[in-house]
Amino acid sequence: MIHTLEISNLKVHFPGRHGTSIRAVDGLSLHVAAGETLGLVGESGCGKTTVANTTVGLLSPTEGSVLVQGVELAGASRGVLREVRARAQMVFQDPVTSLNPRMTIGEAVGEPLFVRGVARGRALKDQVAVLLDEVGLRPEHAGRYPHQFSGGQRQRIVIARALALRPALLVCDEPVSALDVSVRAQILNLLVDLQARHGMSSLFVSHDLAVVRHVCDRVAVMYLGRIAEIAPRDALFSTPRHPYTRALLAAVPEPDPAVQRAKPRIPLAGEIPSPANPPTGCRFHTRCSLVQDICRREIPELRMLQETTVACHLA
Amino acid sequence: MTAAALTVEALSVDLGSVRLVDGVGFSVAPGQVMALVGESGCGKSVTAQAIMRLLPDGISQSGGRIRLGADDLTTLTEREMQWIRGRRLSMIFQEPQAALDPLATIGVQIAETLRQPLRRVRGDVLRMLEDVGISDPERRIDQHPFELSGGMCQRVMIATALIARPSVLIADEPTTALDVTIQAQILDLLRRLATERQTGVVLITHDMGVVADIADRLAVMYAGRIAETGPADRIFAAPRHPYTALLLASIPRLSDVPKSQLAVIEGRVPTPAEFGPGCRFASRCPRADNRCVAETPPLTPAGGDHAAACHHPLALGEVP
Repeated sequence: MIHTLEISNLKVHFPGRHGTSIRAVDGLSLHVAAGETLGLVGESGCGKTTVANTTVGLLSPTEGSVLVQGVELAGASRGVLREVRARAQMVFQDPVTSLNPRMTIGEAVGEPLFVRGVARGRALKDQVAVLLDEVGLRPEHAGRYPHQFSGGQRQRIVIARALALRPALLVCDEPVSALDVSVRAQILNLLVDLQARHGMSSLFVSHDLAVVRHVCDRVAVMYLGRIAEIAPRDALFSTPRHPYTRALLAAVPEPDPAVQRAKPRIPLAGEIPSPANPPTGCRFHTRCSLVQDICRREIPELRMLQETTVACHLA
Repeated sequence: MTAAALTVEALSVDLGSVRLVDGVGFSVAPGQVMALVGESGCGKSVTAQAIMRLLPDGISQSGGRIRLGADDLTTLTEREMQWIRGRRLSMIFQEPQAALDPLATIGVQIAETLRQPLRRVRGDVLRMLEDVGISDPERRIDQHPFELSGGMCQRVMIATALIARPSVLIADEPTTALDVTIQAQILDLLRRLATERQTGVVLITHDMGVVADIADRLAVMYAGRIAETGPADRIFAAPRHPYTALLLASIPRLSDVPKSQLAVIEGRVPTPAEFGPGCRFASRCPRADNRCVAETPPLTPAGGDHAAACHHPLALGEVP
């Protein structure tokens, strides 16, 4: 069975100052199975957005392979890329900057269909109405402009546009981070509902572990361009294997004082090092409380521990 | 009970004829962290700016009193207020990198709060840097903000705000721009410094997790008014205002059932033009009736120093 998304040994490097290279993603492998939602979590600078952008063909891999439904993105021609982008659509963090202020909602949502010649005229209007309805908006909204909508509604519009071509993979990059708490719940409910209704695969990028736990089937934790741990949701949250995952979980403030204050603290010293000059051996060793000599010398390979795949010498 | 470090009474703030903050009151005891919580546009940041008397042009305080210890700040001249800022009342902001002067070294900026040249207070500044957890302060003191990470810049801001030992610190979304692991460090630091220095902290945030972590008390704001106020433990355990209860139920938690439906607050916050005579949450409230639309509910005691502004408050443990 072909996975919807299969990333193998992906490297995405950017030129840095003085001839250095920023190794934003540095040897990452993961897959998203059909109908599955994979969460990709990590702190700023870990490379999660670079992975998302590469998956929809907005960045090209420096090395490695990205297969969307079996079609290779690395080194693909423009024609192939165009084809792949119809299958992998993206929802960005900020719905305000994701919509053209001069286009009506109907034009924005219908544009993918129009551009690819899927529908014209009456048929296009009908399809737009169906899409708007799916995300909880009304057909008469089609004639309005983005500024007439709230942030939550605008994110619904962006989602409708992403669904227009019925993609096999929906890539969501922090889709609720810019929204207020009460609106966030509406969008999360919508995403969960769409997953169930369409059986779409999804790559869900977020820094918010509670949100990821709520919508994802499996979770990948990234640190400085590499995977620290990948596991089914329940395994990751109940028995995190990587010290970084444990620290990350401990740092999530729970909205309940009794739970929060009883939580063990796992303070992480320092901050994430620069991807231009990543540490030797395990990239997490500079902040890890369990660090041993081997961690400084050797890069830990990903290995299986029951359901979990983890890159740690000590796990 | 000890005297409050800060007392805000019936504060109102207007933008032209639009009332942005309407009769907001709360107090903060020394060493206490009091969280002002709400969604965008609820008036929490405007309240903070009014306390500092740093309201943007066109927005002005139209009523109420702000007391710092025994002094009424509302009667002070701008000159007197300038003396108070930084010395007795300080503020830190969301974007530490944007709030620091990019051209001045860390040491010079911190010393500025003391209105002293750095060479005269270098020892104090070094001690303060150490106290906010900056490693290698001897080197850092002469560095510029761009040489520091976001988390370190926030520590520098805290050092700048607290070096003159103010009795009150206003922290406006101090960890929103930071990663969770760094956020945890900064929250621990704020909690420790508040206790050690007996500083009253007004923490402005939209994040209930942050509130649960370090706040002693909280006031939930909605559309310019306080919906509910009281000890954090009590409000989280048994919110009385339907807005608070729905807000808490809408947050995904590490303990809930994955992919379950989260509570949703229908509709949107009314704009000031849409404010009616009644409760501003009425249009979205599942418990609202005619009285809610017609009459503004006063903040009513709900046991202890817990109070809710609702005609139909939830019973203990009831869900809206």
